[in-house]
Amino acid sequence: MKDETNVEGLEDISSVTAQLPASQRRLPIGLRVNIRGRSIRLRGLKRQPKGMWRWLLILGPGLVATSAGNDAGGIATYSSAGAQFGYDLIWVMVILTISFAVVQEMCARLGAATGRGMLDLIRERFGIGWTLFVVGVVIVANGGVTLSEFVGIGAASELLGVSRYISVPIGAAVLWYLVIYGSYAKVEKIFLLMTFVFFAYPIAAFMGGPDWGEVAKGAFVPTIRMDSAYIFLLVGILGTTITPYIQIFQQSSTVERGAARRHYGPERLDAYFGSIFSNLMSISMIIATGATLYVVGNRNIETAEDAARALEPVVGASATMLFAIGLLGASLLAGAVLPLATSYAVSEAFGIPKGVNLDFRRGKAFFTIFTALIVLGAGIALVPNVPIFPLLVGIQVLNGVLLPIILVFILLLVNDRNLMGDLKNSRLYNFLGWGTFIMITVAVIVMLGGQLLELFGIELFGG
Amino acid sequence: MLMLSELERFEIADENGARARFADLAAPLLDTDYPIVNNLFFRVDKKTLRLPWEAVRAIDREKRQILVSNFDQAEEVSLEPQKDYVLLKYEILDALLLDLQNRRAIRANDLQLEEEDGLLLLKAADASIEAILRRISFGFYRRVGEGGLFDWKYVEFLRGDPKAVHNGAGYHLRITRMPPGEIARLCNFIPYLHAAELITLLPDAKAVKTLEIMTIRRQLQIFEELEEEQVVRLLALMAPDTAADLLGLLQTEMMKNYLEKIPQKKSRRIIELLRYPEETVGAIMTNDIAYLPAELTVVKARRQLRERFQNTDFVYFIYIVDDEENRSLSGMISLRDLFASRDEQTLEEIMDPYISTLSALEEVEKGAYRVVESQLAAMPVTGKGKKLLGAVTIDAAIMAVAPEDKSENLRIFS
Repeated sequence: MKDETNVEGLEDISSVTAQLPASQRRLPIGLRVNIRGRSIRLRGLKRQPKGMWRWLLILGPGLVATSAGNDAGGIATYSSAGAQFGYDLIWVMVILTISFAVVQEMCARLGAATGRGMLDLIRERFGIGWTLFVVGVVIVANGGVTLSEFVGIGAASELLGVSRYISVPIGAAVLWYLVIYGSYAKVEKIFLLMTFVFFAYPIAAFMGGPDWGEVAKGAFVPTIRMDSAYIFLLVGILGTTITPYIQIFQQSSTVERGAARRHYGPERLDAYFGSIFSNLMSISMIIATGATLYVVGNRNIETAEDAARALEPVVGASATMLFAIGLLGASLLAGAVLPLATSYAVSEAFGIPKGVNLDFRRGKAFFTIFTALIVLGAGIALVPNVPIFPLLVGIQVLNGVLLPIILVFILLLVNDRNLMGDLKNSRLYNFLGWGTFIMITVAVIVMLGGQLLELFGIELFGG
Repeated sequence: MLMLSELERFEIADENGARARFADLAAPLLDTDYPIVNNLFFRVDKKTLRLPWEAVRAIDREKRQILVSNFDQAEEVSLEPQKDYVLLKYEILDALLLDLQNRRAIRANDLQLEEEDGLLLLKAADASIEAILRRISFGFYRRVGEGGLFDWKYVEFLRGDPKAVHNGAGYHLRITRMPPGEIARLCNFIPYLHAAELITLLPDAKAVKTLEIMTIRRQLQIFEELEEEQVVRLLALMAPDTAADLLGLLQTEMMKNYLEKIPQKKSRRIIELLRYPEETVGAIMTNDIAYLPAELTVVKARRQLRERFQNTDFVYFIYIVDDEENRSLSGMISLRDLFASRDEQTLEEIMDPYISTLSALEEVEKGAYRVVESQLAAMPVTGKGKKLLGAVTIDAAIMAVAPEDKSENLRIFS
């Protein structure tokens, strides 16, 4: 343990170790550096972790935000896609993974390069009108989705044999306590741990015994069907996967994590990994229901709960349990992420102090918005026979209107050299970003047009 | 009193009857209470033109018109930030401002202007909901409440660009009069680029004190945005323990570069601290402490400390050593002891020889608890032969045992 080289004026570290009790842990090796011509071992340097740890420490806002997208509504959409069309829609997810990763990465980059959340930038660059529009839609849409997450918590817990009147209040209280009293780092760690529940879906997929050849065909050979159910599910998948709150949360939490433009890089990997992981989980849901419900002809899936219940007679109670565990974890995660994204958005828009790291006294408005959404979401979810399905359709329309606008804002901001400096978008990124915008816009027009025509009893595509 | 939200709907007319749309106003932000508008921008046929404010003949609120001399005298420009003035609509409106009276950040929902002797002054920022209503109601809602107005005298506008300070941008600089703790707290409410700009505005000594209170991550974000010359200056003034924490996070080459550029004495102290592993007492101690030989008389000690205290981090206790070379710890005196004692007494006579010490490689949590429980401002750290290595101050100890939720550093005794 003796330090070989000493520097004038420094203590020989062995003179210190001589005093220590025998049980003292081994000192870290540190790093030997040459400063002013003298070689010295510095044990206090924070050395970069290596191997697996290095990768795990990179994960953060990207994985949390994208995983929150696999919430109750997402599970319903992906399960329905598998139940109705087997593996035919998996190719959409493959293409969407690239778009999703590009959009999420741009948000992370905006956060790191500017230190500002999305609504900060929208307010400063596009003015109060657009800001109020975005904030208004975000509050209504996120409020509605938060309610659906608590309905999801209740449904999942009842599948697992626990009454919703117990699970929903407990779930709400735990999420509230975690965010109000926890630091950002602690909250992020717990959110990351919660993403483990998503492994329930690949397991359920394997249990379904899919024909992997058919799965591969579904993933890489695009199938287009001109019937309304197929088109609307395709559009639904686009809207469920890329959702405004995921982008808002990604950017704001990247800022709160303390990312900086000088060594932007880990955030990019986190966004990529999160998007790929999240979409792999979504694909697992399609495979799980495609291999089972589609084969037996049980195709009427409207909610995640329907999917879980329908699996029991086909695969067994364990598959239902897995889906229920996945739904519970996903709903809990999104039940916290959605109110947080809303709090970030409102605070940024109006210049209110924001952040999980604040205490309640300093972040009153931020935490009040969060608390109100949790209380309202959990409270309404306990009201019997809440018409959640029509509510979700309405929210889908709102998010559908907002998404192309948000994408345009992201693309304009990320191309602003004054804001981004060297982190400005590359040509490839612009190509992929604008391509995503066109794809999403067409999907939204189809969705909105279809719903409008439906009101007049006109079917856009053959049934 | 005029609000920018009202003025931006005014028509610009010249004496020949030509008409244009309002675009913006510019004012230099100097060390004055209320900036004076010096340029008017307006749009004609998709062109942005600029006229100096002297060309403005009148502001007619009845006709909702700004009358100017002649559009022909206007210069075509692009509406972009400039170093010698700030654009009120393009740059300040909707931006984050620092409200120095209430020590917080606010968003500029509107700006209040006032005509005085033919000049137009920027008088206040309006952060109220009413200001938003005025802007979105197309002129139907005009009420201006006093509650949301923030006197410009106590407002600081930051551009979010640390380089703006060096490029000659103007600032109020009132913020430089605030205590470091309050500036650090304000920095928590603004993006890191704004915080770096703010630090660049401050005199070095205050910038260092402010940085020391921020979380290490925020310090790092800010340092990376500063120019190397400024970083070296700040590191040289920083307490060695804070500097060691910060440098320990940098990439090795960058750390070496800075350690070679800061004064050798400071560099040596920082290196000494960097040698102690993170989880040991050495990692949280400061080695910039005052110590004196035991045989010194009180009068001589006071004279010596006058010089030493100018650059010493921790000054509440003076540690007494056998001689300055070996630094074997014999006792300790407080400043009160030193000033209450008679001139001819030696330090040995007045010192407290019974003192608890820590070992530099002791587990950090155990050591920190000992300091906290001792209720002392600091506890000395010794090595072999009771050699004085440094001291753990109570604020450092509290930070070591406090939950990580704390968003700021505690810095009381150093």
